[in-house]
Amino acid sequence: MTLLAFLLILISLVTFVAAQLILKRAMEFSATHGMRNSYFISRVAIGVVLMTISFFLTLGLLQRFDLSYLYPFQGLSVIFITILAAVVLKEKISVRLTIGALLITAGIVLVSMS
Amino acid sequence: MKNRPSGFRNPWLQLGLSVVCVFASELLLKRGAREVAAPDDALSWTGINGLASPLVWWAILLIIASFITWLYVLRYIPLSLAYPLSRVVDILVPLGCWIFLGELISTLRWCGIALVIFGLALVAQPIARMEERL
Repeated sequence: MTLLAFLLILISLVTFVAAQLILKRAMEFSATHGMRNSYFISRVAIGVVLMTISFFLTLGLLQRFDLSYLYPFQGLSVIFITILAAVVLKEKISVRLTIGALLITAGIVLVSMS
Repeated sequence: MKNRPSGFRNPWLQLGLSVVCVFASELLLKRGAREVAAPDDALSWTGINGLASPLVWWAILLIIASFITWLYVLRYIPLSLAYPLSRVVDILVPLGCWIFLGELISTLRWCGIALVIFGLALVAQPIARMEERL
C-alpha cells in the first residue's frame, strides 16, 4: 500500500467519524432549540459534506483495492466513534460497552478477512 | 432519553428501520450493479452507469430514508450506543448475500459474524434491561 492510499483511507475514516459527531451534536441542539436556526442547518450541512467526501473517497479506493481490504477500516469506525463520543460529546460509556464495541470491530475485521 | 416518543416514533424502532434500509440498499445496489455491469465502458469506473438500473434508484431512496431515520435516532440515543448497534448491518449483509444472492460464507467469516453478535449482545443487554424498567 502506498502512502497516498493510506492517507486517503485515513481521510475517509476521519471525515466519516467527524460527520457522525457533528450530526449528533446538531440533533441534540435541535431537540432544545428547534431546526430553524443557522447553527443547526450549518452543522447538518457540514455533516452531509463530510459524509459525501468520505463516500466518494471510499468509491475511489474501491476501484483500486478489494472491498475485503478496505472494510476493516470501516470496522475501526465503531471503536473510534465510541471513544470519541465519550471524549468529545461527554457520553458515559461503560466497560461493557467498550468491550462490546471492541468485539464488534474485531468481528467486522474477521468477516472481511475471509 | 427523557420524553422518548412511543409507537412509530420510538427511536429504537427507527434505529431498526435505519438498519433495514441500509441492508436492503446494499443488496439492491449489488443486484443493480450486476444488472448493468459494463466493465469495458469508460464511464463505468465512476459507477454512474449504475443509474441505468431501477434497482439502483430504489437503493438511493433507501439510503436517503436511512439517513433521515439515523438523524432522528441521534436526537434521542447516545452516539456511543446507537453507532455500535447500527453495525448489526455488518452481519445482516453477509447473511443476506448468502440467502438472497447465493454467495458463500467461509468458516472465518462465520467466526467474525459470531464475534459481532457477541459484541452487539454486550452493548444491547443493559438497554434491554433499562427498557423493561420503563
